[in-house]
Amino acid sequence: MLAVTGVSKVFPGVKALSDVDFTARAGEVHALVGENGAGKSTLIKVLTGVYLPDAGEVVHDGTPVRFTTPLQAQQAGISTIYQEVNLVPLMSVARNLLLGREPRGRLGLIDFRRMHREADEALRGLGIRVDVRRPLRELGVGAQQMVALARAVAIDARVVIMDEPTSSLEPREVRTLFDVIRMLRERGIAVVYVSHRMDELYEICDSVTVLRDGRVVHTGRLADLDRLRLVSLMLGREIGEVRSEGLTKFTGSHHASAEPMLHAEGLTVRHQLRDVSLSIRPGEVVGLGGLLGSGRSETARAVAGALPTDSGRVSVGGAPVRTGSTPAAIRAGISLLPEDRKAEGIVPGLSVRENIALAALPSLSRFGLVDDARIDRIVDTFVKRLRIKSSGPHQKVGELSGGNQQKVLLARWLALHPKVLLLDEPTRGIDVGAKAEVQALIDELADDGLAVLLISSDTEELIEGSDRILVLKDGAVVDELTGDAVTEDALMRAIAAEPAGSHHD
Amino acid sequence: MKHTALLRRTSARTLLATGLLTSLVLTTGCTKSEDSSDSDKAAPQQGDSGQQVASPSAGSGPTCTIDAYGGEKLDLKSATVGFSQSEKEANPFRIAETASIEAEAKKRGVKLLTANAQSQFSKQISDVQDLIAKGADLLVIAPLNSDGWEPVLRTAAAKHIPIVTVDRKINATACKDYVSFIGSDFVEQGKRAADEMIEATGGKGDIAILLGSAGNNVTTERTKGFVDQIKAKAPGLKVVFQQTGEFAREKGQSVTENLIQSKPGIKGIYAENDEMGLGAVNALKGAGKKAGAVKIVTIDGTRNAVQGIVDGWISGVIESNPRFGPLAFQTLDTFTKGSEVAQDIVIKDSAYTEANAQSDLDKAY
Amino acid sequence: MTELTLAQGRVDRDRLLRLLQEYGVYAGVAALLVFNFAFTDHFVSAENFRTQAVQVAPVLIVALGMALAIGTEGVDLSVGSVMALSTSLLSLYLGYGPWAAVLVPVAGGILIGLANGTLVAHLGVQPIVATLALMVAARGLALVLLPQLKDVRDPGMTALGSGDVLGVPYLVLIAVALALLVAFVVRRTTFGRQLLAIGDSRPAARLAGLPVRRVLIVVYACSGALAAVAGVLATARLTASDPTSLGTLMELSAITAVVVGGTPLSGGRVRIGGTVAGAVLIQLLTTTLVKHDLPPSWTQMAQAVVIVGAVYAARERGKR
Repeated sequence: MLAVTGVSKVFPGVKALSDVDFTARAGEVHALVGENGAGKSTLIKVLTGVYLPDAGEVVHDGTPVRFTTPLQAQQAGISTIYQEVNLVPLMSVARNLLLGREPRGRLGLIDFRRMHREADEALRGLGIRVDVRRPLRELGVGAQQMVALARAVAIDARVVIMDEPTSSLEPREVRTLFDVIRMLRERGIAVVYVSHRMDELYEICDSVTVLRDGRVVHTGRLADLDRLRLVSLMLGREIGEVRSEGLTKFTGSHHASAEPMLHAEGLTVRHQLRDVSLSIRPGEVVGLGGLLGSGRSETARAVAGALPTDSGRVSVGGAPVRTGSTPAAIRAGISLLPEDRKAEGIVPGLSVRENIALAALPSLSRFGLVDDARIDRIVDTFVKRLRIKSSGPHQKVGELSGGNQQKVLLARWLALHPKVLLLDEPTRGIDVGAKAEVQALIDELADDGLAVLLISSDTEELIEGSDRILVLKDGAVVDELTGDAVTEDALMRAIAAEPAGSHHD
Repeated sequence: MKHTALLRRTSARTLLATGLLTSLVLTTGCTKSEDSSDSDKAAPQQGDSGQQVASPSAGSGPTCTIDAYGGEKLDLKSATVGFSQSEKEANPFRIAETASIEAEAKKRGVKLLTANAQSQFSKQISDVQDLIAKGADLLVIAPLNSDGWEPVLRTAAAKHIPIVTVDRKINATACKDYVSFIGSDFVEQGKRAADEMIEATGGKGDIAILLGSAGNNVTTERTKGFVDQIKAKAPGLKVVFQQTGEFAREKGQSVTENLIQSKPGIKGIYAENDEMGLGAVNALKGAGKKAGAVKIVTIDGTRNAVQGIVDGWISGVIESNPRFGPLAFQTLDTFTKGSEVAQDIVIKDSAYTEANAQSDLDKAY
Repeated sequence: MTELTLAQGRVDRDRLLRLLQEYGVYAGVAALLVFNFAFTDHFVSAENFRTQAVQVAPVLIVALGMALAIGTEGVDLSVGSVMALSTSLLSLYLGYGPWAAVLVPVAGGILIGLANGTLVAHLGVQPIVATLALMVAARGLALVLLPQLKDVRDPGMTALGSGDVLGVPYLVLIAVALALLVAFVVRRTTFGRQLLAIGDSRPAARLAGLPVRRVLIVVYACSGALAAVAGVLATARLTASDPTSLGTLMELSAITAVVVGGTPLSGGRVRIGGTVAGAVLIQLLTTTLVKHDLPPSWTQMAQAVVIVGAVYAARERGKR
């Protein structure tokens, strides 16, 4: 139905796709999976005409095509359903459903009666019952998505691409969505389904293509691929692969005997976290394992007050911390090194010096006036200790390399003398040398008695850096690996494990 | 994440740009309307006599009768008159105008309905339609704009409602779409200001003009009258400087400050409204000039400006009269009785000079 | 090869633009001064410099507050209306003595600023929308309090408006003092550094635990207070309260001064020296055209050209 062969796409500095073959067949639900940066979204954009491939071709219905705009792809019957519904929220459901092809009566005016009837029929056909006269925005996210889907089906889509459609749906809505997907399959429509939720994949998908680092590492029937194998393909680690210790700069375990420094209990955030609890002792590095979208970053952000929680408690050294407030968390000694360093970490236009001093400013000031001498001393200390390479403390942080930016951020937090350090992908996107330095630093900090939470997509880093690993899945802790069980095998098995009981309904 | 951040940034920028434009449009919009009122600001009261007709003298010029206009005679005393004011009564001119109409209605015992368009033309259109719907038999309109009156005029014509417009003319046919226009002749005001200037300066030397807001008919006409008259009567006077003071005191002051430094030999300043003239006085005082060293002539007739004559800073003030009540009702009365009225009624504006400023100070608004 | 040359060309143009953004305003001021020295009669006189300085003072004071708002990637469109409100309040409270006549207007300006700040910081309203709302509201309030122009006959006010110390007018002294104060706040205080960080990257500032909301509210309150001070000074100079026309288009002049002075609209930087020069540049531009008796419409067009030029130079360069 829709296929690409030998497709490559290069962005400055990155090869997003290289020589990718992918085929979506009629009447088949095809899972497209891969970790961050694997090339999923690039592939989708090539399929839908957002990007033109640098090499290779797109074949639609047996003939090579060249979509230069998303509109052309739509006209060829390829519909994309994104997480965020892009319809017109103020218009009625029926209007949205039939937008651009409203039934016309005499004088070319919209025949509302007919429009409502047609819309109602279309939705009923998919087993959805809503009042089509209501404005779209009054519907829940799930129902809105159904309308988007119904619209896709109504405009004779032959291929429907769904990008993480269930990420903001309630379990009940997921069931309805799956019913609709099955109906689409029966009608001979090709469905491409992108998700990180393993249970969903195995429930609804027929075949699977696994992308990693811009290449197809596996494609075939999903039923023939067990969960463990799928996880290992996604993470790029072999099961039972001989561990060559010491690839990373971690030294191993730390002494961790005291009472927990950080204690979080029952953290719940709608659609993101379910009852996550964790505790970290001083000097301990606790890793968070799991696939993309499993709730690792969300856990760290919830602990740091950057993500408002619906329920749950956080305490540091036994003293409760108000949740949902970054300043409160920071005062309590919790520091978060965010995942998106450029957007949420550094202040690019300010100097190395200002960036390091930023969080500690109030304590480096008297009567609101900045004490520059003290700042200089602190900046000097950390630049030396973390070996931050810049042309000087007055260079703009935006001009530094990724590794040095990350060190500046670490310095910013260390200047506050935190008790708990939450590190979300601390070594992503930084060069090998800096990576080793940062890893060694994490060890050092734990040895100094900090409680460290480590999130990393680099399985090796996670295993070697952590004393203990909590495995997350769909926003909940599903397993904990301790002691000798902190291995890649165990991690992948935990991630791939079938849900213990029934589905979380 | 980075993407959304960038997006947010861009959209914020776009918003900012649009906002700047909006604010520009808004403020210019406001300034214009405020200024057009400023221009006419604060005309003096001529005791209790209201306005006098300057032209036409009885019996000349095109006229209008109720038979020609259509409709039936009625008794003004038992009629309802609707008055549509264009702008908020936030300046002396509008205050005096509305007060004059209301006072005259009360005096004559006529039922008066009033509406204020708050400087929004669309509101004025619906105001007038409302007045008609509420049962107004006659209309007095102070139009915000000259154009765009067709829908209202059509409604009024269907009901044969006589309309008198005051202080600004509308672009329509007199005695068909409306009965009469009553207002000042701004060109004439400019000419008379020129006469004052010639007398004050002796007809020789360099003079400057503080213009009103650009694109305003009051500005254009007051400038034309002044410049033409100077050319015709006093070739010895040279207009060497023409800058806008936007009908505001602050701008008048700033511009004059620059003027007296770059042209120290300036003999006279013609300010197209009192406010700019008072700004010029401020500037002259600030520069250490003596009263009367530079002759100032202004138009409007506010109390402050007339006081300026008394104090010796201003040489002459040409009045722009806002008291339309008596004349408007008299016109309507004559018309509804079946007699003829003039289509264009230009009111007589008086003037203040050293001779009468002290004695007539109380007549100034 | 072609790509390389293209990239090279872009780097050169970027550098040029950056230089223009950093120092263009000073070059512009110098150029206008040289032109006027050469071609404008009676330009070089103490009296003239005094006049120019007095005329620029209120614009400069408003621009200082605007620079802070723009530094947080915001803007304050309500400044002109705050000046109007300030003049109305001054007129109303003049009877209660000189202190009331100054402090009540400033308090009014702070209140409007707090309203702006609350809308922006707590309700997440776009600064442009929030301050546009207050721009309309404050002007309306000013006209309700004082429906028409009223003379201010008060010896204290007259002295403030036209008095001087050793030949330097009070207005100029106050403007310079405020410029120094704001520059000090931006450079040397915690608040200043936090303001810049918030303007540069709000998410990062928030995650770093900065009191983002408080800083934003204080910034808009400062802007309101400064605009109110400008309103008081303008009133003193004019010896009249004119709420209908005082401060109209002031937001445009202030934004122009700030942007021409090299403060980027994208926030994260505040250049007070540049802002002072920017305000002077606009003043000189207007003055030059007025002194040469060029048509008034030229002034507006010249200002537009300067704004477009400044924004072009300040526009975000390629990558960040």
